[in-house]
Amino acid sequence: MSKEKSAKAASPVKKQRKAWWHGENFHGYIFMIPTLIGWPLFCAYPMIWSAYCAFCDWDGINSPKWAGLKNFKYILTIDPVFKKSLLITLEYALINVPIMLILGLALAMLLNKTIRGIKIFRVLYYLPVIIPSVATLVLWNFIFKQDTGILNVMLRSAGLKPVGWLTDEKIVLLSLSIIRWWTVGGTMMIFLSGLQSVPGDLYEAADLDGAGKWAQFRHITIPMITPILFLQLITGLIGGLQAFNEASIMTGGGPNYGSHFINYDIYQTAFGSSKYGRACAEAWILFIIIAILTMITFSKSEAYVYYENE
Amino acid sequence: MKNEMRTGRKRREITAIVLRYVMIFVFMLPMILPVLWMLSTALKDNAGVFATPPQFIPKVFQWGNFKEAVIQSKYLQRFGNTLFIAVLCIIGSILSNFMVGYALARFKFKGRKMWFYLIISSMMIPGMTTVMPVFRFWVAVGAYGTWLPLILPAWLAGPFNTFLCKQFLSTIPRSYDEAAKIDGATYFQILSRIIMPLSKPLIAYMAVSTFQGSWNDYMNPLLYVISKQDKWTLALGIARLGSGTFGIEWNVYMAADILYFLPILVVFFIFQDYFMEGLGSMTAAGVK
Repeated sequence: MSKEKSAKAASPVKKQRKAWWHGENFHGYIFMIPTLIGWPLFCAYPMIWSAYCAFCDWDGINSPKWAGLKNFKYILTIDPVFKKSLLITLEYALINVPIMLILGLALAMLLNKTIRGIKIFRVLYYLPVIIPSVATLVLWNFIFKQDTGILNVMLRSAGLKPVGWLTDEKIVLLSLSIIRWWTVGGTMMIFLSGLQSVPGDLYEAADLDGAGKWAQFRHITIPMITPILFLQLITGLIGGLQAFNEASIMTGGGPNYGSHFINYDIYQTAFGSSKYGRACAEAWILFIIIAILTMITFSKSEAYVYYENE
Repeated sequence: MKNEMRTGRKRREITAIVLRYVMIFVFMLPMILPVLWMLSTALKDNAGVFATPPQFIPKVFQWGNFKEAVIQSKYLQRFGNTLFIAVLCIIGSILSNFMVGYALARFKFKGRKMWFYLIISSMMIPGMTTVMPVFRFWVAVGAYGTWLPLILPAWLAGPFNTFLCKQFLSTIPRSYDEAAKIDGATYFQILSRIIMPLSKPLIAYMAVSTFQGSWNDYMNPLLYVISKQDKWTLALGIARLGSGTFGIEWNVYMAADILYFLPILVVFFIFQDYFMEGLGSMTAAGVK
């Protein structure tokens, strides 16, 4: 750094002569062009515009009319759907995040061993993740069918009562969760790469000191993978709060709004009933919830996330 | 005595491995059975689909279901549409993300830190918050009902891939750039002839994940091309197949579903090693 400065001081004339289009400033911004267009267009403008529209009546055709807090008042005090959407979305995300983390880590530990055929097993566990969400939902729609779906057929032949997988308000979230658990291979793969980056000599040293398997897991594995655990926690939470396809393709938000996820609610409010202003207000509430949850997770992270380089 | 201990330990190791295999197999069943059930349904005749007791292996193999699926889902046209969109997205996302990643990793321009944080923080914004103004924008410029809203964003450097690119390029030694610069290479040449060839794993990862993203995308086609059936992508076509007025036979539907995800499966298996490597470096990048 100081060397650079002295070089600058030594040849001030030469530096000044260098034309502006040769400088790092100019070239940096040339290469930044995609972001310089994309960020304002797909981030800054939409955020500002939707924040403004949250306080407006807007049908999507005429220009928005200022309405003050009307949208928020309606959403938070009158609208029965929004509150329910919010609750079931939170329930769905907060229950599934820890389950996915534990299941993913357990499976990663199971498959973290070089034995014959392990690569094939890993790919087969990952298979449900490769299948696109639309295809997955179509498949499970068939499996969950009330009268003829394979699950209920099997339950019936075992002498049990068939379950209203997608038609019982109390069951539907569980059914959709099962589909999510089915794709645990993604979480597993990320944990697997984390486990493999833990230096082996740590375990050897622990072995010499006579530490048991559980102690090794508790005091080496877990601390070493906390950064990945943390990353998965954040992405899982943000992803879970934004469930959409399930409601749109499988359940239509039903039965009795039992799977009316908040993202689907926003979509319906905007593109279904043309209340764009109200939808913007709902979207901002979702954004604020996600921001708060992310910040809480971040602020608590210092207590348990271990970074090697610090 | 010593020998006995050794055989005892060996036996324990073998038991452990056998136990592991058993558990791996048990947990694998729920992962693959639904897919096998789908395959088996896709091959059955109409009577076999809902036969009791259920046929796990079809009595009659009706391969014609796949032909029927191609016709009913307008597969060829929608495959072409989806492929066209996906390829353009791949090219755009690689070019634009490498440009921005290069700028952020190599140039000390004013406001670099600010842009970096703006990009990072925009990853947190839920898609639904921006979708209505963005929709309004596309309608206003007359791009509603075209593929432009599905393709153009990929050419403008999405935040996640930008972040990935910047992290990856930071690991390439600067001395390469400087050597090329002394030889008189322009910045564009350095990027295209030195940096990009050194980033093949990242390019492969980005290509596969962009392909997946584009192939899987359901919401954007739903928003922008729902009114023009000849512009539908496979994802939209398959999702809407079940809600047609006549309804569709489940065996044909499952066949169409398989045809929909088959290309992505093939791509995944071809680039599997690259993809896994990229997944690993992605988590490493996210962690640092």
